[in-house]
Amino acid sequence: MFQRYPTKKKVLYSLIILSFIVMETPLILLANTTEPFVLGMPFFLFWNLLWWFVLTALFLIGYLINWGSKESSETVIDES
Amino acid sequence: MTIGVLIIAAFMIIPLVIGFFAATKSTKTSEDFFIQGRGMGAIAVFFTVAATWWSSFAFLGSNATFYTNGPVYLTALAWNLLFGFMYYWVGKRVWFLGKRFNYITASDLIGDFYNNEKLRIIVAGILLVFTIPYLQIQLTGGAYLIEVASGGVIPFWLSALMFYFIIVTYVWVGGIRAVAWTDIIYGALLFFGMMYAGYYISQHVGGPTGLFNGLLETSPEHLTLPGPLGAMGYPMWFSLFAVTAIGAFMGPQIWLRMYSVKSGKLFNLMPFLLGFAAIAYMGSLLAGFTGVLLEPGLANPDQILPVMLMEYAPFALASLILAAGAAAAMSTANSQIHAISTIVTMDIYKRYQNPKASQESIIKVGRWSLIVFSLIAYIMALVVPGVLVTIGIAALAGTAQLLIPTIGAISWRRAHPTAAIWGLVVSIAVVLLFTFIPVLKNPLGFHAGVWGLLINAILFVTISLALKRTDEEVVNRFDVARNDYNKAYHPELVEENHSDKKREAL
Repeated sequence: MFQRYPTKKKVLYSLIILSFIVMETPLILLANTTEPFVLGMPFFLFWNLLWWFVLTALFLIGYLINWGSKESSETVIDES
Repeated sequence: MTIGVLIIAAFMIIPLVIGFFAATKSTKTSEDFFIQGRGMGAIAVFFTVAATWWSSFAFLGSNATFYTNGPVYLTALAWNLLFGFMYYWVGKRVWFLGKRFNYITASDLIGDFYNNEKLRIIVAGILLVFTIPYLQIQLTGGAYLIEVASGGVIPFWLSALMFYFIIVTYVWVGGIRAVAWTDIIYGALLFFGMMYAGYYISQHVGGPTGLFNGLLETSPEHLTLPGPLGAMGYPMWFSLFAVTAIGAFMGPQIWLRMYSVKSGKLFNLMPFLLGFAAIAYMGSLLAGFTGVLLEPGLANPDQILPVMLMEYAPFALASLILAAGAAAAMSTANSQIHAISTIVTMDIYKRYQNPKASQESIIKVGRWSLIVFSLIAYIMALVVPGVLVTIGIAALAGTAQLLIPTIGAISWRRAHPTAAIWGLVVSIAVVLLFTFIPVLKNPLGFHAGVWGLLINAILFVTISLALKRTDEEVVNRFDVARNDYNKAYHPELVEENHSDKKREAL
């Protein structure tokens, strides 16, 4: 099934999964420190906001590229 | 004081007006009362999902958690993103099947796909039992706020009662349309209230930069895991993320908001919008952390924001922000009461008591169950004490378990009813044991809900692989529907002639 996925879909979903891995696996503990302060924020806060921003941006890109699928046609629903 | 009471009065009257106006747009069918005839547009969908999902758990619980336990609540950024993504990936498929086979509740989809009455009842039971405590915390949170905003003039029991009177009235007359429309106002108020409250309060300690520097000197453990009490390390970080997002997503109120949507395309933008809105938690972070510097040692941490506002902000502003907090509670409570009434009406009354019930009698039962269940939650709010986040997570851990059979139903033809039943029964038992028996509490630091999900998934997959479904007709009917879904939204995945062969077989 995965081989049917267009490349842009594979890249998009891989980046989404990667972002969740960075935010929610024990890897997050690597950023669990107050120093250095970045933009006036403790590092742990900055790190979380950074990945929140990345993932939110990926979701916007997902919307703009129709989540990597060909253009959809909702008419199929009404026909069946 | 008078201004505070006036703001609260306005806050109570506006939703009533909206509710009665929404009622003029409704048609007298149960589908309209419960899911707005599957015709809800983009703005209403976003605001009603966001405002329903953000509850007093988000508005009060977040401040309290930053205040007592440090940064663990930052995991909310990721859980909002996960919630948004599930709303797209799972929600759109649920919506499609709902439209195809006329579903209104979670039991409709799960019961139909697994072709099993027992499972249908288990699902309805889980949703009812675990939604009521979550409803109770909305009431408790909202009533705290009204009590404080009125300067104690309106006592807790009365503010909780007023709350429920207003909600029941407008849901009674306007159904889900009234809920969604009032949620537009509540959602906006909640978002800006959270942001502004944090920003305003933090100005008293030199703004965000001054705040973080102050914390670094006085209480640096508030800035890293596991927090000042040492209790909120990585296991809780992950547990809150998984249990909150999945549990809230599987709540009956969100199920209705999957079925109500007018067009599948509306789901595509929701991950971005719901994820983006999570920035409002920065307001909670600022407010909770400022509390550490300004009001250390508060007996009830859930009241940190109201207490600081009353002390450091002008009364009118404080009341307005507290009204926003009450909006958070109300916008979740209204949807939950409405959703519970839907389960009682459609899954119990219509299915088992009176299958030939007329539209009028269905709506009538729906309305009366609003009153009964809100009364139960009201009594619980008065007699069962507890910290908002703790009760909230325990309730969410229960509903979260439904995700496993739901993913099975929307994506896997081998998913087996016996597997779904055993997965649910064992995982709910695990959640209850690991929550209520002190020696078994949270093994390895992970919340009971996470263990439940793990055991549920293992049982579900292994039993499904071991057994074979004999009801080919149902399995094929769903196969055709899923293939039609792909045809409509993911044409690159469609196998040639797949759907047509199955359709012929039916």
